Amino acid sequence: MSDEFILDIRNVTKRFPGVTALDDVSIQIRRGEIHGLCGENGAGKSTLMKILSGVYPYGTYDGAILYEGRELKLENRSIRQAIEEGIAIVYQELTLVPDLTVGENVFLGKEPVERGSINWNRLYADTREILANYQLDVQPQALVRHLGVGKMQMVEIAKALSENAKILILDEPTSALSEAEITKLMEILQTLKSHGVTCIYISHKLEEFFRITDSVTVLRDGKTVTTQPTRDLTLEKLVHYMVGREMTERFPKGNRKPGEVIFEVENLQAQDPNDARHTVLNGVSFDLRRGEILGIAGLMGSGRTELVTTIFGEYGKVTGGTMRIEGREISVGNAREAMRQGLSLVPEDRKGQGLVLIQSILKNISLANLDQFASLLSIDADAELKASMGQAKNLAIKAPNLQVATETLSGGNQQKVVIAKWLLSHPKILIMDDPTRGVDVGAKYEIYKLMNELAEQGVAIVMISSELEEVLGMSDRVMVMHEGRSNGTLNIADASQERIMQMATGIA
Amino acid sequence: MAASTETKQPSTSLGAELGQRVRANLQTITIVLAWVAIVAIFSILASLEGKVFLSPQNVSNLFRQMTVTSFLAMGMVFVIVTGNIDLSVGKLAGFVSVVAAYFQATIWYKLIPDQPMIAAILSVIVGLLVGTLAGVLQGSIIAYLRVPAFIVTLGGMFILTGLILLVTQGKTIPANQPGFSYIAQGYLPAIVGWILAALIILFLFWNMFRSRQRKRKYGFELSSLTIDLIVNGVFSLVVIGFMYLVNQYQGLPFPVLLMFITAGIMTYVANNTRFGRYAYAIGGNREAARLSGINIRRTIFLIFVLMGFLSGLAGVVLASYVGYGTIAAGQGYELDAIAAAILGGTSTLGGVGTVFGALIGSLIMATLSNGLQILDTPPAWQPIVKGIVLVLAVLIDVYFRKNR
Repeated sequence: MSDEFILDIRNVTKRFPGVTALDDVSIQIRRGEIHGLCGENGAGKSTLMKILSGVYPYGTYDGAILYEGRELKLENRSIRQAIEEGIAIVYQELTLVPDLTVGENVFLGKEPVERGSINWNRLYADTREILANYQLDVQPQALVRHLGVGKMQMVEIAKALSENAKILILDEPTSALSEAEITKLMEILQTLKSHGVTCIYISHKLEEFFRITDSVTVLRDGKTVTTQPTRDLTLEKLVHYMVGREMTERFPKGNRKPGEVIFEVENLQAQDPNDARHTVLNGVSFDLRRGEILGIAGLMGSGRTELVTTIFGEYGKVTGGTMRIEGREISVGNAREAMRQGLSLVPEDRKGQGLVLIQSILKNISLANLDQFASLLSIDADAELKASMGQAKNLAIKAPNLQVATETLSGGNQQKVVIAKWLLSHPKILIMDDPTRGVDVGAKYEIYKLMNELAEQGVAIVMISSELEEVLGMSDRVMVMHEGRSNGTLNIADASQERIMQMATGIA
Repeated sequence: MAASTETKQPSTSLGAELGQRVRANLQTITIVLAWVAIVAIFSILASLEGKVFLSPQNVSNLFRQMTVTSFLAMGMVFVIVTGNIDLSVGKLAGFVSVVAAYFQATIWYKLIPDQPMIAAILSVIVGLLVGTLAGVLQGSIIAYLRVPAFIVTLGGMFILTGLILLVTQGKTIPANQPGFSYIAQGYLPAIVGWILAALIILFLFWNMFRSRQRKRKYGFELSSLTIDLIVNGVFSLVVIGFMYLVNQYQGLPFPVLLMFITAGIMTYVANNTRFGRYAYAIGGNREAARLSGINIRRTIFLIFVLMGFLSGLAGVVLASYVGYGTIAAGQGYELDAIAAAILGGTSTLGGVGTVFGALIGSLIMATLSNGLQILDTPPAWQPIVKGIVLVLAVLIDVYFRKNR
């Protein structure tokens, strides 16, 4: 039955010099279903997407792809052709032009033209129609810059739909979304499904497959492990298929023994650096103990990231409140001063804020800590190398050597480089902003283990996370933020997903 | 230590390793080969007219001609690496050259008569100070008041054009004290040249063995000794050949020595100091640099101060080279400097670029000027050919990148 499957990937093999990225992969995708695709980083998901979008054109791989019953032959580098065929991808990193409106973005490259000039009324009318059809709650005339990440994603989806996409591929759509936004996205996907659009859903957050997908395919090391209806799967089974071994616990049990209070934040207030009228922090208080992991939960926009960058001296103006380390009141004007006080910050966006991608692992690890090895006139290259190698080994960064550019590493290894960099200064207080975002299951586990080790050695850790399970699995206490305020701190024994969500949404 | 036992003997064949080395330095090799190709073309064309392009005298002239641009280009690498631009360097060098001339012609002989050596030294100091001061001024506005470098230096270019007119009053000012003339017109005795060459070669091999020792210490895979020896041998031969050629004429030109010393210092600064590391990090990812505690404003300020100092140096050499200061001094040099930096592989996106590349870029620019002069081509063709070569070079680079 060729009509049952809209996409039939048959025995596709894709080789690169030295590696086989896809090894005899076969996947059948039913018309109108939401098909989950999961696997660790390097399992072959991105390669497969690149074949479907035409980045790796027809002829550069073995095997066949049947689309709508005939063989899909995408020409050289013609992403346009894939879109015209009805295959659209919403990438993890959004690709909108921030200074254009929603409508202009949706119709970018295919503006309705009449007698040589753009018919703006039609453009906005069509945009409104698409948005209304799929219940996307965005204004066509709004500037994309002013939208939140969740809305931007809706615009991306609208853009794909405006091309009459039959298959919509979503590559980790929820990695930057809050719980509420994820719920909204799930609703949108259901609407798409009812309109007959087929979705391929890629994610690292395994729970999501159970919320939304009809069936799931697991890839491992470039091979298809299994395709099963979601109702036959469990979380444990899925993890098992992905890593090829039983993973009894997702969060390693540490032997943490929180000690005395080392860091206190009281009623911290701060302004938006770009808009002094807008206060972003309206009074945040918490304390942190030596050897403890304090989770910070909160919705997108609740001020979590702003809180930690303010503490690190790199956000807006502090307008009130105090911070004390070991009882001493401190003021922090920039990152350098923060580091001097014993603070480290693993930032939220590892590519945008954590790494100099074109530079080597070595240079990235030592960048924030050159003072340790350098006098005014020279850098002690031996000492730099020794210290960086020590960190790289400690974190088990997988790379041929330290001279490799960080842009060539997988997400998990990149994150390890960022963490290595921030451990090199031997912080007393380590702040980690979403440390496992976009990182595969195996690397996540290693990062958790490392956090436990550090805490056992007496480092105080603040961990922001968008994943409630992670917060619950790793923290000793959880501080919940709501609209720029700390809305209470829970001991882990009293915390539950419901309780945290209630506090994060201001119900409790 | 596990690391020391893991030291692997290179398992790859000599040819494969050589290929790897070539690929790793492809951009540098390409640009050097491009220069060789340009030289070959000029040699052939010149020989058709019965002239010799690579004569000792012309090689000596060629390197002397590239010096002014090279000082500017070496500073420009740092400026562009941090994602900035400096349009004022040509006029700044020009202004420095007329100031240096003005002090010699109208001030020193009144204050300190009959002291040509001291007058020359003071002129140099004044020139370097003026350049540095301009850098301090522009750098503060760019780094601390946060006006884009393009605009600040465009304004600077206008202002300096006016200042040159003010100082010269539209006239030509002589700058030909004997001591001062030596800076751009002097030659080192042959024996000094050979001693220098020997020292450089000794340094090359010492450095090679030191780096091999370090790699062994940290358990890194060693490249084959044969290849290291071949590479350093080739470099040594180039040094010997170059010294032989210039000694055939009058010896190593003093400004060329100055250029090589500057290049050595700047390369060291780029690779072995925090300042250099910070510059590349800022260009590679400003946000990551900021969160790493790097003082971005101060680094960028210092880069413009350095650029100002090098413009001052370029201006002093320029005044000495032409022997006077004129209203046209430094006209268009900023374009040569930017082109040289880009030809040498500096990325306009920031984060990438080398001092050595800028040097080769300057050499290409000078070779084009010199070659066209030798062939008696009308002056109009110089900028046309330079423009074509610049765009062609980047085009080829883009093409190779895409097809890698």
